[in-house]
Parts: sequence; C-alpha cells; structure tokens
Amino acid sequence: MRNLDNPLVLLLAGGVGSRLNLLVQTRAKPAVPFAGFYRIIDFSLSNVMNAGFPHVGVLTQYKPLSLMRHLGTGDAWDLSGRIRGVKILPPRTGAKDSDWYKGTADAVRQNIDFIQAHPSREIVILSGDHIYRMDLEDMLRHHRRKEADVTIGMMVVPKSEIHQFGAGITNDEGRIIEWEEKPKVPRTNLASMGIYVFDTEYLLKILTENREESDFGMHLLPKAIERDNVFAYPFHGYWRDVGTIQAYWEANMDVIRPDSDISPQAWGIRPNPYAESLAADRCSARFKSGSSVHNSMISAGCVIEGEVVNSVLSPGVRVGKNVLVKDSVILHDCVLEEGARVDLAILDKRVRVGKGAVVGTGKDKKIANKEHPKHLYTGISLLGKEVVIPAGAVIGRNCIISPYRKPEDFSSLNIASGETI
Amino acid sequence: MKLKPKVLAMVLAGGRVDELNVLTAHRPKSAVPVGGFARVIDFPLSNLMQSGLELVALLSQYRSFSLINHVGIGAAWDMSGRHRGVFVLPPYQGFGQSNWYRGTADAVYQNLDFVRYHSPETLLILSGDHIYNMDYREIIEYHRQKDADLTVACIQVPMKSAHRFGVAEIDDEDGERGGRILQYIEKPANPKFKWASMTIYCFKPQVLYEVLDINAREDDSFGFGQDIIPRLMADQRRVYGYKFKGYWGYTRTIEEYWQTNMDFLGAEPKIKIEEWGIRTNLEHRAIRDYQPLKVSNDGSIENSLAYNGCVIEGRVENSILFPGVHVKPGAVVKDSVLFFDNLVGRNAVLNKVVSDVNVIYGAGSRVGAEGDVQKKNTTVIGWNNHLPDGMVIGSGCTLYPDLPPEKMVAEIIDGEVVR
Repeated sequence: MRNLDNPLVLLLAGGVGSRLNLLVQTRAKPAVPFAGFYRIIDFSLSNVMNAGFPHVGVLTQYKPLSLMRHLGTGDAWDLSGRIRGVKILPPRTGAKDSDWYKGTADAVRQNIDFIQAHPSREIVILSGDHIYRMDLEDMLRHHRRKEADVTIGMMVVPKSEIHQFGAGITNDEGRIIEWEEKPKVPRTNLASMGIYVFDTEYLLKILTENREESDFGMHLLPKAIERDNVFAYPFHGYWRDVGTIQAYWEANMDVIRPDSDISPQAWGIRPNPYAESLAADRCSARFKSGSSVHNSMISAGCVIEGEVVNSVLSPGVRVGKNVLVKDSVILHDCVLEEGARVDLAILDKRVRVGKGAVVGTGKDKKIANKEHPKHLYTGISLLGKEVVIPAGAVIGRNCIISPYRKPEDFSSLNIASGETI
Repeated sequence: MKLKPKVLAMVLAGGRVDELNVLTAHRPKSAVPVGGFARVIDFPLSNLMQSGLELVALLSQYRSFSLINHVGIGAAWDMSGRHRGVFVLPPYQGFGQSNWYRGTADAVYQNLDFVRYHSPETLLILSGDHIYNMDYREIIEYHRQKDADLTVACIQVPMKSAHRFGVAEIDDEDGERGGRILQYIEKPANPKFKWASMTIYCFKPQVLYEVLDINAREDDSFGFGQDIIPRLMADQRRVYGYKFKGYWGYTRTIEEYWQTNMDFLGAEPKIKIEEWGIRTNLEHRAIRDYQPLKVSNDGSIENSLAYNGCVIEGRVENSILFPGVHVKPGAVVKDSVLFFDNLVGRNAVLNKVVSDVNVIYGAGSRVGAEGDVQKKNTTVIGWNNHLPDGMVIGSGCTLYPDLPPEKMVAEIIDGEVVR
C-alpha cells in the first residue's frame, strides 16, 4: 500500500539559465558544478532526501544529458528502492499536450499522468536551481496545519532585489493576500523562493481550469491568492539563486568565507560520487613542499605545488610550481602550468593554462564584457570547457574564452579586458 | 561461454599480524587504512580490477567484519555482475571435521569445492596484505607460456632482510622476466638468495588440488611457502619465478607501516598514488559524504596527503590525513599518519604518531618524538581515545583502544604501553 502521507515531489530542472553563459553551454543549470564536487541540484535533492520524501519526478528540457547521468538511479540520495525512486520526465509527444514545456505550470500540467500514477495528498514543487538547506517536512506540516490549498516558501530579501522575485503581502496569520510578480516598485520585502506545496486535488483543478496559463508565478498563483487559501512558509537562512555568473561566483566564495554559514557537509547535502567517476577514482589531495594554501576548498585528487588563495578547486586540479590562484573557481581536472597566474576567474572543466600565462589582469575591473555586458561586469573572466591558453598569454578582466578554444585560435597573446574569443 | 572468467583470484585476507599492534586490534591487516584514503586490501583489489580480473574470492578469518563491510558487494572495484563478483569465504562447519583455517594452504583447501565449481583455467592466489601496483596479466601470461605448474612472483630484497621471506634461486631462462626456480627455502636463517616470494602465486588448478590433498593428509602445517612450494619442488614440478621490479610495501611492523606511508610523500614519491589507479569503497565510513577539504587563512599544509572532509587550521607537514581529520588553530602535525575523523585540539603537537580512528587530542597535548624522527620510534594511539588537554606522551608509546579516562595520566614516558 502506498502511503498517502508522503507527498510527491516535482523538481523543475528544465530552465536554460542563460545568464550563466558558457557554464550552461553543455549542461542544464541544475547540473552546473558547485563547491568542488557538488552540482546545484544536489541541494534540492538532498533536502528531499533529508525530509524522507520517497518519490521525485525531475522535469527536464534543456540539455538534460549531464543531469540524467548525474541522477543515475537516484541511489546517491537514497531514492532507489521498492517505494522510492527518481524519475526523469522529459517533454514528449502524445495524443494530447504534445509540445515543449512552455513554463513551470505547463511542465507540471503535461505530467498530470505521472501525478495520477503516484497518488498523494500533496505535491511539493521545487526548483533545482538553488543553494539552500530547508526542512521540507516542516513546511509540509505547516501546510497541513494551515489547511492551505497552496503554501509558498518565502523569505525576506533586500527591497532592492525584490524586482527579481514574486513578492507577497501577508496578513497576521501568514496568509498571502496580495501578489506581485517581479514588481518594479517594491511594496514588500517578502520574496517567493519558487518552493510550493500544493494540495494535489487543488493543483489538478487549477491546472485544468485554463490550459493556456503556463507559469505558476505569473498566472496561477495570483489567481489562487485572490480566491483560495494561499499561505506563506517563512524561511530564514542561506538561500541563493545562482542564476548569474556573479551570483555563482559569490555563492562559491560564501562557502569558503571564514565565518561562512554554508556547509554542504553539515547541511547533509550529498553529491553523486559515482556519476562520471566524480569521486570514485580520486585519491587524496597532494600538497607538495613549497606549496601554500589559504582560505580555500580543495577536492580529492588535486595536486598543489604553487599557491592557492581564496579559491574553490574541484577534483583533479593540478596547480604547478610558482602558480598563483586567487579568488577563483576551478572546475575538474584543470591544469595550471608552471608560473601561471589566475586571478578572479571561473575555469570550466579540463582547462589548461600554459606556462607563465596570466588569466585575469588589469586594474580596471569595470570594463564589462563587450558581447555580454550584463553577464560579466565585475572583473570575473570565464574560460570554457577544455580551453587551452597558450604559454605566456595575458588575458584581461571580464573576458570570455569559448569552450574548446586552442592556442591556434588566439590571434594575439594579449586579450584585453572585455574581449571574447 | 565466452564471458566465463578463465582466472579465479583468491585473496588471502584473514591474518592479524601481531606486530601491527593496536592497529589490528579490531580489524585484519588487510583492512588497515593506508595512504590517506584507502585500506591495504584496496591495493590488490584495484590491481585485480585494472588487470580485468573480476572473479574474486576473499579468504577471511580474523575479525572479518571490517573487511566484509569494506568490500561490500564489490561494486567499488566493478566486481559485480553476471560473471563478476567478490565472494567472502569465512571458515565454516561441515559434516566431517570443522576447523579454523590452519594456514594459507588450508584456507584454500577448505574451499576447494568453491574453486572446482568455478573450474578456472588458472588460479591466482595472492596475499591481501601488501602495498604494490602490478598488472597480474603479465605473470599469468608468463605462467601460461612456460606451461608452469606454479609461478611465484618474486622481488629482489637486501640479503640482510632475506631471512624474513621465502627466497628462491631463479635460473636465467628468460633473463629479466623470470626463470625456473632451482631452489626455494622458506625463511632461511642464513639466506643465500635475494629473490623473495611476494606471496603471489599462479597455479595450474589440477596440480594444486593434488598437492593440497597430500598436504592435508600427510603434513602438520599448512602454508604455501612452508609446505606447498617445497613439496612441488621435491616432486620436480615446473615451478617458475616471475621477476617483479616495482615498489612492494611489506609492512609487518609499525616502523615499516609508518615508512610505507611516508613512501607516498616527498618530491619524487616511491608510491605514485595518482598513477596507481587505486579505488576504495566510498560507502565505508560514508566518506563520500564529506565535502572538499578546507584550509583556513592561518592553516598550512606541505608535503602531505589529505582527503575530503579534513579541516586544516593549524600546521601540517610530512603527514597523511585520512577523511574527516580536523587540525585546530595553533596545532602542529608532523611526520604522522592520522586515520579517519581525528580531532587535533588547539596548540597540540604531534610528531611521528600513527593514530587510529576517532582519536581526540586535547588542547596543548604533546604526543610523540622530539628531534630527529628517523631515530625515534613511532607512537601508536588506538581508536576512540580521548587525550585530555595538556597530556604528554613520549615516543615509541602504545595506547590501547578505548582507554578509560583514569588511564590518561598527565605524562606517559617513551616506550610505555598503556592497556
């Protein structure tokens, strides 16, 4: 007998996240590596695991391959077994509803059969894009106590940032009485985290009422707030949408800050160490004589001969002699050859920086990237997968080197700030 | 049956090794941690995996839980599937006589029904107690080429330590590769040959069945080195030596164990762990759940290996830190091997210490040798001990596992054993 007490979880993992630029050129946003060997989706999945919810559907659409590989059987999050499971739900063609997902609500609507096949009293809808730890079980209890139709996870954010979120105004009992989606002029500082608990029957009802409405925040929730019982579940703590290069870099730096309040390990966040031999084939990190590491996070399999300061290194990174890595995020198996310098940069997997090359230099960090001025404007340079930087090259601030670029693609060894290759 | 493995590997992993002291109080030698993340057994198991040999039996007797727990279903070494697997073979009671394993040969003899069931073309029998990197396909290939009844992997050792091994005189039949074994003597008082047996044997199964049967009926001891090889030599069987040139970590004492760990370090490490392809079971002690290691602003770590889950706020030099070790500010760890989840308190100083799992060093405690470590003995701390603040322990000391607080006196002098 299926236990109706357990809610069904739907994890929305289909978004492009295009502001993450070339980090999402070959993978979906939830599959972007974070804090060494985690991926962003590990946070949501581990929250589900720690709540003990046994069944998850992951709605994918954009470049799902690395995400599917990462999820595997769901074993890593204890989501495999007789009544447990994680299912991938890609868009599909069928007798009806044969189309790509047009929005969050549309994606859920196209999987009504999945919901019906897994009877439950409530549906928990999460986004796979956020770095946070949340007690989802407590949120579910809150939802039941309030006898709500919908409960929305909400937190206080600075008023200057409210324009990025759905904003709600609550009454004394925590009921949401007014809703504004991405308001230009803020009237409240209570923002939606994109985490919902729906009464299953209620969800099915509003999804079928008007089949044109494709988005929860824009269409379904404002209507529900007007007519029905929608409550806020207040969240306090670290929560971050790492949807931009700037936010992604800052969240990584948040992990290594001395007074950091985010710790994947203490939060019970689990990676999948078996996917792509992420951790299974890694031996201990080696720190050679003469190396120096300060205020950094280093994953297994790294070999450090040079200096690493304020940086996060994924597994298998090699930092050669007289190398200086500072304020950077270096993903798996990058090689920084002798004398190289990397300052304020994000390096995707398997980048090689040649001898004596400099990545990230120049006093003026405000020269924004010319092609993507809204993505890179604080000095961070971005190097795509498997880029090879020629020995002696000098790369400025806010530069982008597209994936797989090799030394022959460089017409000059000097790449000025704001340039793109 | 194309997929049916032609080689069955049997790993002898049941021994305790008394000289390893408290490290084998609760686990067999093969389950002792080594090299920063692995267990001794991971070396032969990974060698087997890299050699494509994935039908494996583990003969286990002493305190086998840790080993069985570590090996799990063998998936960590890709040894799970239709024709792949790791089978743990403990001692058992039968209809006739029931015995503990009385020696290495007896352990195999008692499991001959298992061997016959798999009917391999070649039987690879090896000890699970050593640190090395070997492609077993080469010795198997040599064994087959020579149509040998037994091929023994041998390594050259200094004459002065040859008395600790079974030693062989190997002729020049195939030069550097190997040759026929002309003489074999187990642990001779006055050794004359430098080729020592690595306790890695390739057998023609039929020959092994016969000799084990005679050994069981006629002899009083049941060891491969002591009884089986001499019998085959006496019978003029085709016994060959395969010459191995790589690193072989033979750790029968605490000092050798310490030295083998140090061989992972240095500018040109003797054990190039990054190249050996060693895997461990990340489920064991849940080491997969650790986050990447953190070094604080004032922490420093040099000439060392450290795994995920470590937090380094003090100074670490020439040391090996297993997952989850926390070195607090002001603490100094030198020339030491700290197993899983040790906590080194503020301003504590550790010199040439081997520390089993879950040990807590109180603030300002001082443990181990002072001065030239090469001349001092290693101090060994058994698991789950809590050293109070300011405690002083000298070099060459041993603390038994789980000591009660009243045993933790203010000072323990050089060479003392606390049990």
